[in-house]
Amino acid sequence: MTDKTNAESGETTHFGFETVNKNQKESLVRGVFDSVASRYDVMNDLMSAGIHRLWKRFTIELSAVRPGQTVLDIAGGTGDLAAKFSHLVGDDGQVLLADINDSMLKVGRDRLLDSGAVGNLHMVQCDAQMLPFPDASIDCITIAFGLRNVTDKDMALRSMERILKPGGRLLVLEFSKPVNPVLEKIYDTYSFRILPMMGQLIANDADSYRYLAESIRKHPDQETLLGMMEDAGLVNCEYHNMTGGIVAVHRGIKA
Amino acid sequence: MLDPKLLEILVCPVSKAPLEYQPEQQELVCRASGLAYPIRDDIPVMLESEARSLSLEERER
Repeated sequence: MTDKTNAESGETTHFGFETVNKNQKESLVRGVFDSVASRYDVMNDLMSAGIHRLWKRFTIELSAVRPGQTVLDIAGGTGDLAAKFSHLVGDDGQVLLADINDSMLKVGRDRLLDSGAVGNLHMVQCDAQMLPFPDASIDCITIAFGLRNVTDKDMALRSMERILKPGGRLLVLEFSKPVNPVLEKIYDTYSFRILPMMGQLIANDADSYRYLAESIRKHPDQETLLGMMEDAGLVNCEYHNMTGGIVAVHRGIKA
Repeated sequence: MLDPKLLEILVCPVSKAPLEYQPEQQELVCRASGLAYPIRDDIPVMLESEARSLSLEERER
């Protein structure tokens, strides 16, 4: 979809199954989301047959967010989680909706205006690796289907740990590794054959949805991500598999 | 207009120092790092790559 031939020497990372220079990944990922932003929600519903709503609902239950708290939703793009949190924290609380991509934030703002949840909700364009918030300032951070697009995940997890208050929670909702080999085979067929086709038909953009499928396979599995969260300094880390491990939600606490 | 509650919780991603809001320029300025972050469509853009370096004159003010 984009010219990736100038990946010269220097540190490399994954962009789907391709190896690219670390400093290229950010703009390549931006290209994907600029391209899908306007149809992102409709595609999520179709791709997951609506199940992404259940995954998100469970994540909100695990967050234990209460009135008056400050919640940061990173890579919150079109704002599904942020709208729910806005009601949970109430007038004394605050929800920060953060995304590195301004197209996604603008789609989110339009949707949130429509849903009426705005008074306690603010948008910030920022990088998950360098979060613009003070140490120990946030009660709960969520990142749903966002971490796998971040270039340096360890740096991002450390940045999140820094800004959490002691006792604050980080919740990572992300595609993961199916626990059953038969399910894994079906899922592979679905995501590498059917999903790019649906992307082509609905968003006229097979490449972006192929990137999504590839990036999911490159993302660390359940145990690896758990270890990364512990390395970032979070404690009592745990995860819950959903839909047979196609998706997992990881939770860690700031000590 | 930037919401004061948002300004209160934002810091410079580079220095982690508090920011000054400049309503005319629609910028958030960090003296410690010498960077000014743009506010576009009421959304603060807290990316180092999008920030403007303050001039010497601006730094001395």
